[in-house]
Amino acid sequence: MSTEEATTVRARPEPIKAVPVRHPGRWVTIAVLAVLTAMFLHVLLTNDAFQWSFMIDNMFRPPIINGLVQGTVLMTVSAMVIGVGLGVAIAVMRLSTNPILRTVSWLYTWFFRAVPRLVLLAVFGNIGILWSRLEFGVPFDTQIGQLFGIDGMELRLFGFDSRDVLTGFMAGLLGLALSEAAYMAEIVRAGIQSVDPGQGEAAGALGMSRGQTLRRVVLPQAMRMIIPPTGNETIAMLKDTSLLMYVPVSMELFFQLDAVGKRTFQIFPMYVAACLWYLLLSSILLIGQYFLERHFGKGYGQTERARFRLRNLAAETGGGAAGAGGTVGGTPDGTGSGTGGTPG
Amino acid sequence: MTGATIPEQATPPEAEADATVMVRAENVHKSSGHLEVLRGVDLEVRAGEVCCVLGPSGSGKSTFLRCINHLEKIDGGRIWVDDELVGYRERGGRLHELREKEVAAQRRSIGMVFQRFNLFPHMTALENVIEAPIRVRRESRAEARKRGTDLLERVGLADKVNTYPGKLSGGQQQRVAIARALAMRPKVMLFDEPTSALDPELVGEVLDVMKDLARDGMTMIVVTHEIGFAREVGDSLVFMDGGVVVESGLPREVIANPKHERTRAFLAKVL
Ligand SMILES: Nc1ncnc2c1ncn2[C@@H]1O[C@H](COP(=O)(O)OP(=O)(O)OP(=O)(O)O)[C@@H](O)[C@H]1O
Ligand SMILES: [Mg+2]
Repeated sequence: MSTEEATTVRARPEPIKAVPVRHPGRWVTIAVLAVLTAMFLHVLLTNDAFQWSFMIDNMFRPPIINGLVQGTVLMTVSAMVIGVGLGVAIAVMRLSTNPILRTVSWLYTWFFRAVPRLVLLAVFGNIGILWSRLEFGVPFDTQIGQLFGIDGMELRLFGFDSRDVLTGFMAGLLGLALSEAAYMAEIVRAGIQSVDPGQGEAAGALGMSRGQTLRRVVLPQAMRMIIPPTGNETIAMLKDTSLLMYVPVSMELFFQLDAVGKRTFQIFPMYVAACLWYLLLSSILLIGQYFLERHFGKGYGQTERARFRLRNLAAETGGGAAGAGGTVGGTPDGTGSGTGGTPG
Repeated sequence: MTGATIPEQATPPEAEADATVMVRAENVHKSSGHLEVLRGVDLEVRAGEVCCVLGPSGSGKSTFLRCINHLEKIDGGRIWVDDELVGYRERGGRLHELREKEVAAQRRSIGMVFQRFNLFPHMTALENVIEAPIRVRRESRAEARKRGTDLLERVGLADKVNTYPGKLSGGQQQRVAIARALAMRPKVMLFDEPTSALDPELVGEVLDVMKDLARDGMTMIVVTHEIGFAREVGDSLVFMDGGVVVESGLPREVIANPKHERTRAFLAKVL
């Protein structure tokens, strides 16, 4: 283009009115989906087994709301807080130059990722069998005492009855948090390793210590990589609180819904109620995740991408809760099928 | 702490004899894997001197610079910066590795500027500059901010104080990086090809800042392919190839009539 052409104002051409490409396949898909949706709605409305009014009457009862708040929500928050904190520590240990710390960290993640959460929770629920009392003091005190010829020497500072400490909630929290820490450690490690090694070198060349480099330079940059999978972990954790039934923890959403179902012999409506509750809670978390990601994308010119994601998210949630639920992604140990088959 | 065995036995520095030597390297060896990257590098840079290092790719220039501030551990030889042995302490005829804290303390007085800038992307230009003075030198925030602003002004970026690196051009980023290194009040500045990642029209602004530094009497070791800079600003020129110093001398002399065949071949390609 010559400069002359560029500077002279030219008349705007008529807008193009072309015949668009036809997509007959789309119409077929829409027709099929319409029929399937109609069939689904038909089942929902006409099949008596759903017992909608019974479900709505029962899904907001005080014990269920209590279980939701004190069990599901509180447990998700506490387990994630401990899991993230411990996970960061384990990831840092894994990347340290100290071979002992590296090995300990490797063993930890190996163990807690290898054992299914459900099994882990069952074990923690019954750990009181090992020790009836938990005491803190000099380790191997009785054995040391015997070495010096003293029988029954006990050097204990304080102790608890294990049934007082490892109540259902504590045992469940321990199981979920320790297992979460293993997954979070892998996520944090990947995040730290994604940061350009030149960053650490630049900080080192300025005389910053390894700790300062980690806290001030590496972790803030790793956050961008860590936040999205942590959001997924939180949603997975929310759903995994339903496994607490095996500890057992009674103050929990699914346990309560299940109990109502079994007591009234209306099991299926209460399971549908569980689906709806978990859909609602997960959707709320998805929205929270969006804002977190936007916050940590600051200064990176990533707002454009985040805005794009919000549009996608709006489309998903706008298209019904089922759409949002579909993006959540399941946990490896398959909570749905595991709890669905419980004998009464 | 373990006593490190360093195979090459080097003579102790004659600190009293020549107090003006800022950086001294003796017989520095370094291998990574099977490859011997440095095979006995000797170098002496006096205080206030600008020493330019030239050499083909892979000759070990970057590795040598990184050895000077102990980003790389050397396998043999000795390096002193301002009469202090880098990375080790000699006691009872044995070398002891320094603790992490002591190494960090040594690095404080050695500024380094990287080819790829390595600015912290989540901090503004000023935050980049004041981070280490506040955390490492324990300067007060107000004091650090004042000095940081002055330094950014000195490298011609007074208007970019609150800009994030992602919004700066390469030349501006490199100037922030220089200001960041200067904020630690280093005794010596190491530059590793500071202009190699820049568009040609941005090279000049970075070289100008470096010339300015040289005029102010900063001791500098500059790995560069900018022959013009070496000739104009350099007090000495070192040509490295294959992990050794092949030739060194006054820049003009080395560039005008190189004595060594390899130097001649290299200069013919670059000039
Ligand atoms: N971490 C490493 N691992 C393996 N090899 C390395 C490592 N660092 C450097 N090397 C090798 O050491 C040699 C010297 O590298 P160095 O980066 O010091 O060269 P250079 O002179 O700076 O080259 P350039 O001009 O390309 O920057 C190269 O052959 C390189 O492949
Ligand atoms: Mg290099």
